[in-house]
Amino acid sequence: MVALARKTLIYEWRRFLPAILAVGFAGLLQLLQAALVLGIFGSSSVYITGSSADLWVGYPGTQSVNLGRAIDNGVEMRLRMDPAVTKVEPFQWVDSDWRGPQDTGGVSVFVSGIDTRPDGMMFSKALSPELRARLVEPDAVIVDRADLDNLGVGIGGVAAINGHRVRVVGVSSGLRALGGVNIVASLDTARRIDTAPADSNRTTYFVARVADPSQAHDIARRLRGAASFGRYDVWTAKSFAHRSQMYWMLDTGAGAGVLFLAGIVFLVGAVITSQTLVAAVVGSVREYATLNALGVGVGALRRVVMEQAFWVGAIGLVGSMALGAVFLLVASHYSVPVALSPVATLACLALVMALAIVSGLAAMRSLRRADPATLLR
Amino acid sequence: MNARPSSPSGIALQARGIHKSFVSGRVRSSVLRDLSIDIETGELTLISGPSGCGKSTLLAILSGLQPPDEGSVHALGEDLCTYDTRKLERFRLHHTGFVFQGFNLFPALSAVEQVELPLHYLGLAPSEAKRRAAQSLEEVGLGPRMRLRPSELSGGEKQRVAIARALAKEPELLFADEPTSALDAANGQIVIDILHRIARNHGTTVLCVSHDPRLVSHADRVLTMEDGRILSDRRQQSPLRPTTGTDTPGTEETAP
Repeated sequence: MVALARKTLIYEWRRFLPAILAVGFAGLLQLLQAALVLGIFGSSSVYITGSSADLWVGYPGTQSVNLGRAIDNGVEMRLRMDPAVTKVEPFQWVDSDWRGPQDTGGVSVFVSGIDTRPDGMMFSKALSPELRARLVEPDAVIVDRADLDNLGVGIGGVAAINGHRVRVVGVSSGLRALGGVNIVASLDTARRIDTAPADSNRTTYFVARVADPSQAHDIARRLRGAASFGRYDVWTAKSFAHRSQMYWMLDTGAGAGVLFLAGIVFLVGAVITSQTLVAAVVGSVREYATLNALGVGVGALRRVVMEQAFWVGAIGLVGSMALGAVFLLVASHYSVPVALSPVATLACLALVMALAIVSGLAAMRSLRRADPATLLR
Repeated sequence: MNARPSSPSGIALQARGIHKSFVSGRVRSSVLRDLSIDIETGELTLISGPSGCGKSTLLAILSGLQPPDEGSVHALGEDLCTYDTRKLERFRLHHTGFVFQGFNLFPALSAVEQVELPLHYLGLAPSEAKRRAAQSLEEVGLGPRMRLRPSELSGGEKQRVAIARALAKEPELLFADEPTSALDAANGQIVIDILHRIARNHGTTVLCVSHDPRLVSHADRVLTMEDGRILSDRRQQSPLRPTTGTDTPGTEETAP
C-alpha cells in the first residue's frame, strides 16, 4: 500500500508544522497544568503521601488534613486492640505562629509532631532516619529548604513558635504546605508548642499500619463503629489523601479553573489544528478529486485525512511529552511542586489525541470539495 | 475483477436525449440540449469545439462523474443513471481511466507510487500493483524516471505519469479532457501518440475532449460541438486500424 498520508506528511512537513505545534503545545500546556495542580494540591496531603501508614484516625467529618481536630488519646487503645493493626502512632498537628530572627512578620506555620524513632510511620518517605534522629533534641525543628527565606532562618537558626523557642536542626525537601509553612518536630516539642488547653490528653490523629494493606478498607470500616472513646472516624490513607486534595481543589475554585483552562487550550488547539488540516486537504483537493474520478471512494479519502490527523496528533504528543519531561525536571529541581500521576498523564494525552481527531473530522468535511466533475471545467 | 460488461453492438457509450443545465445566480443556462450519441468500442473519439460548447459537460456525463438532468446514459451496457454514488465509484474504479488537463499528481509520491495508488483500491496484491505500475510507466516511456517526484518531472512527463495512472487499471474506457493544452508542441505530440497507441493496442475506448487541432488527424472519429449540440460527426479513414470492407475510404461526413 502506498502510504499517501504519511508520505505527504513527511514531504509537506512545513504545511503540517502549525498543526503539529498546536497539538504539541496544547499537550504541553495540559500536562504542565495538570502537573502543577496535582503538585500544588498534592502538597495538601503530603502528610499522608509522605508517610507509610495505612489508616488515618481523626475527628469525624474532617475534610482535609490541615483541618484536623483533636480526638481522645484512648482511641489508640481501641486501635491496638484490633488484631489486624500492627502499629499505631500519634500525629499531632498544631496550627501556630512563627516569629523568625529576621523581620519577616508573623508567618502561619503548621507544626507536625511526629514519632522520631527510625521506624516511625509519619514522614517515613520524606525524612531520612538521620534527620528524624535530630528531632529527638528538645525544641528541634526541621523546615523545608524552599521555606527558609519565608521563615528568615538558616540551619541552626533560632526562632519562636507561639512564643516557644525552637531551633532549626535540618532542612527537608518536598514538604511544602498549602496556605502556610510546614514545620516538623517531635511529638514532645509539638505538644509544648500547642497552647490550646483543650488539647491536653488529646491528639489530632492516630495513624496505623495493618498486616495486610489490601484489607485496609475493610479494617477501617470495622474500626469506625466503636463509640466508647469519644467521636472519631477511620479512613484509609488513600481516601483521606484524596479527600484533602479534593477539598483544596474545590475550596479554592481551582478545579473549575483547571477545567476552564483545559477547555480553552482544547478549543484553541483544535481551531489551529483543524484549520491547518483543512488547508492541507484543500491544497490537495484536485489530487483527491482525481483519485475519486478513478473510482477511489470518498470513504477511503476520508481515511487518508484521518490518518494524517492521527499522525499529527501522535507527533505532537511525542513532542509535548519530551518537552513536558524537561520542564518537569527543571521544575522539580527548583522545588516547584509538580506531580503527575499515570492517570492524569493518560487523560492529558487522550485529550490531545481527541483534539487531533476532532480536527481531522473537521478537515474531512472539506473533502466535499473534491468533486471530480470540477476538474473538467 | 468483475466480469467486464460489454455492449453487444460494439457501442461502449450511449447517450439518449440528454439535457443538462446549470444555474448561476438567477440565470439558468442550458449546456446540453437533447443530445444523443453512440461512442464505439475501441475507437479514439475526439470531441472538439469552442470553449463553453458543453464538451466537458458531455464528458462528465458520459463518464459517470455527473448525472444528466434528463435522458439516459449507458456505459458498457450499464445504465449509469440508476446508480448511486457508491456504485458509480465502483464502476469507475473497475472500468474507467481519466486524464485531466492539470496533471493532479500528489507532490509527495514518486511516479511509480502515483500509478500504484489507485491499483491498491482495485484489490491488487502489492507486488502485482508494483509490476503493473512499472509496466504502465514503461509503456509511456518513463521507465527510467519512475522513482522521481512530480517536482523533478517536466510537464509532458507529468502528463505521461497521469496517463500511466489511468492506464494501469486496464480500463475499457479512457476519458481525457484537454490532455495536451498545458503542453508544448513536442510533449503534446508524445501524449497524442500515447493515446493513439492505447486505443490501437489495448482496444480501449478513448474519448478525448480537446480543441487541439493536432489531435484531429489521430482520431477515428471527430465530433464537433457548438451550443450544446453536435454540429458535425466526421468519421475519418481509420488512422488506427486497417480499413475494413465496411468502411468507405476517405472521410465520411454525416449530418448530426
